[in-house]
Amino acid sequence: MFELDVATRHIKSRRRQTLFSIIAVSLAVGIIIIFMSMMSGYTSILIDSTTENQAHITVMPKEGEDYIHLYHGLENHIHDLEGVEGVSSYFQGEAALQYKHNAEGVLLYGINPEDENRVVNRDKYMLAGEFASIENPGSRIILGFKLAKNLDVGIGDSVTAQIPGAEPTDFTITGIFQTGTPLDETMAFVNLGRLQDLYGSGDVITGMGIRMFDAYAAEELANGIDRETGYDAVSWIEQNAEILTLMETSESMVFFIYIIIFSISGFGIANVLIMIVMEKVGEIGMLMAMGTSRRSIMLIFLLEAAILGMMGVVVGCILGYAASAAIASIIIPVPPEMYFGMDHLPIVIEFKNFISASVFAMVINIIAGVFPARRASKMDPVEAIYSV
Amino acid sequence: MSEKYMIQIKNLTKIFGDGVEIKALDGVDLNIEQGEFLAIVGPSGSGKSTLLNQIGILDSPTDGTILLDGVDITEMSDKQRSITRNKQLGFIFQYHHLLPDFNALENVMMPLLISGVKRSEARKTASKVLEEVGLGDRMKHRPNQLSGGQNQRVAIARALVNKPSIVIGDEPTGNLDSKSSDTIYELLRKLNREHKQTFILVTHDERMAAKTDRIIRLVDGKISEDSHNGD
Ligand SMILES: Nc1ncnc2c1ncn2[C@@H]1O[C@H](COP(=O)(O)OP(=O)(O)OP(=O)(O)O)[C@@H](O)[C@H]1O
Ligand SMILES: [Mg+2]
Repeated sequence: MFELDVATRHIKSRRRQTLFSIIAVSLAVGIIIIFMSMMSGYTSILIDSTTENQAHITVMPKEGEDYIHLYHGLENHIHDLEGVEGVSSYFQGEAALQYKHNAEGVLLYGINPEDENRVVNRDKYMLAGEFASIENPGSRIILGFKLAKNLDVGIGDSVTAQIPGAEPTDFTITGIFQTGTPLDETMAFVNLGRLQDLYGSGDVITGMGIRMFDAYAAEELANGIDRETGYDAVSWIEQNAEILTLMETSESMVFFIYIIIFSISGFGIANVLIMIVMEKVGEIGMLMAMGTSRRSIMLIFLLEAAILGMMGVVVGCILGYAASAAIASIIIPVPPEMYFGMDHLPIVIEFKNFISASVFAMVINIIAGVFPARRASKMDPVEAIYSV
Repeated sequence: MSEKYMIQIKNLTKIFGDGVEIKALDGVDLNIEQGEFLAIVGPSGSGKSTLLNQIGILDSPTDGTILLDGVDITEMSDKQRSITRNKQLGFIFQYHHLLPDFNALENVMMPLLISGVKRSEARKTASKVLEEVGLGDRMKHRPNQLSGGQNQRVAIARALVNKPSIVIGDEPTGNLDSKSSDTIYELLRKLNREHKQTFILVTHDERMAAKTDRIIRLVDGKISEDSHNGD
C-alpha cells in the first residue's frame, strides 16, 4: 500500500492546514453529538414522562354511548391479557369546587386508589396526605396542588362539589398531589363508588386505564381490544401522535442542520486537498511516470480525506462526549414543575449517536475528497511533469 | 528480423492543436536496438521531448505506431500503459522530481512498491542501486538535504531500480554544472555497459552527445541525421 505511505506523508508535510481541517471536523462532530445527546434526552424525557404519567391504553365507551356497563367482566378479561400490568376503571365527570368565595371548574375522577396506583403511580406525586385515603366510598377528595392553591385550601378543609343535576356535596380534602403538568390545576380524585352515587349513574364507568409491562406493546394490544370487545381502545402512542410526529419532524429538520455543519467541515477538507494537489502537480506526474495507475492516484487523495476525517471524528467524539457529560452535570435553577420535575438538562449519551455522527461525517469528508482526487487522477502526466 | 529491435517507431506523427496546429513530430521512423546508448539532439522546439514522451508512453501519437519489445503501445489500455511504464521504462527528467516528503532510499523504493514488491525486499534492492550510484551514505537524506547532482543520481537510481529495458532521460544533466554533468554521464554510461539497458538521452550538450553510440538529430519534427559514433 504505497498509496497510504504517500497519503500520510502529504498530510504530515502540511501540518498547519491539517490541524485546521481536523479541528473543523472535530468541532462539527462534537457539536452534532451534543445536539444528538440533547435530542435523545428530550425524547426520552418526553416519552418516559408520558408513559409514566398516563395510562398506556385508555378504553372508552362504544360509539354513541356514554358509559361502559357491566365493566367488571371486561376489567377481569383485560387484566388477564398478556402483557397487562394493571387495569383501573374510572368514572370521570365535570364539576365545580367551591370554597368560601372561590370556585374552580374541575375534572372529577372516581377511582379505586389501589387499582389506579397500578396504572399510574399516584402515590409518587403526593405532596401531602395519602392517595389511599379515598379507598372507601366516603366524602373525601384529593386535589392538584395548583387547584388547592387557587381555592386557597389545605388538608382537612372542606370543599363543596357542584354537580349538574345533583345536590351540592361537601368533600374533605385528604390529599394534595403535584405532577408538574397542567393537571395540577384541573384534576381531583374521589372514590369511584362515591362518584357513581353522586351522578346517580348506577355501577358504570366512563373509561378504563391499562398499564402494560412494555409501553411499546400498547398499540398492538389496543387494536386487539378494539377488535375483540368493540370498545374504543386508544394507546398512548395514538393519543400523543401529534407530539410524536412533531418530534420526528423536528428531528428531520435538525438533520438538515447536521448536513450544513458537516458540509462546512467537508469544505475544510476539500480545501486542504485542493492545496496539496496543486502543490504536488509535478509529483503526481512523476508518480504516473513510475507506473502509478489513475486509480491509485485517486486512492491516495481519498485516503488523505479519510485520514483527516478519521482524526477529526475521533477528536470530535471525545469532545462531544466530554461536553455532553459536562452539560448533563450542570444543575439548572428552575422550579421543578417547569420541566417534568427535572433539575438538569436532559442529556442522554447514546453509543448509536456517536456511530451515526461519525459515519455521517466520514461519508461527507470522503465526498469532499472526491473532487480533488478526481482532479489529480485526471492530470496529463506530460503536462504535470513539465509544469515544474 | 523485426524482433531484434527493442524499439520500432513507424511514421510517428504528433500534432498539437488548439486552433493553430503544430506538427511536433512529422512521420518519424526509427529503430533502436537493445543496449544502445543514444542521444537525441536538435534545436529547441524540434520535437525531442515529444518523441521521448511517446516512447515513454506518457502521451499518445496522432498517427503511427511504436513497438516496445514487439508490443504496440498505441493499442494499450490505460492500465497496461501504467504497468509497462512501471516495469519496462525508467524516467529521468531535467528536474529530479523526487518526492520531497520521502528520503533517498524511500524514493528509490517507490517504483518497486508501486509494482507490489514487498517492502523489505524493495529496501534491499533500492539500497543496492543507491550504492551503485555512489549514494550509499546518503540514503536517509531528503531531497532538500542533497545537492542537485546528488538528487539527480537518486533520480537515476529510481529510474533503474525496476531493471527497465529502456531508460529515457530528457536533458538529465540540464540543471547541472559541467563537472556534475560529466559524473552523471559517466554513471549512465557505466550502468549501460553493466546492465545492457537501452538508454535514450535528449541533450543540448554536443560534447556529451559526441560520447554516445549514436546521435539522432531532429529538425522540425523530422529526423535530419542518424549517425553512429566511431563508425
Ligand atoms: N502540449 C503542447 N501543446 C501544444 N504544443 C506543444 C505541446 N507540447 C509541445 N508543443 C510544441 O511542439 C513542438 C515540440 O516541442 P518539444 O517540447 O518536443 O520540443 P523540444 O525539442 O523538446 O524543445 P526543447 O529543446 O526546448 O525542450 C514545439 O513547437 C512545442 O511548442
Ligand atoms: Mg524538451
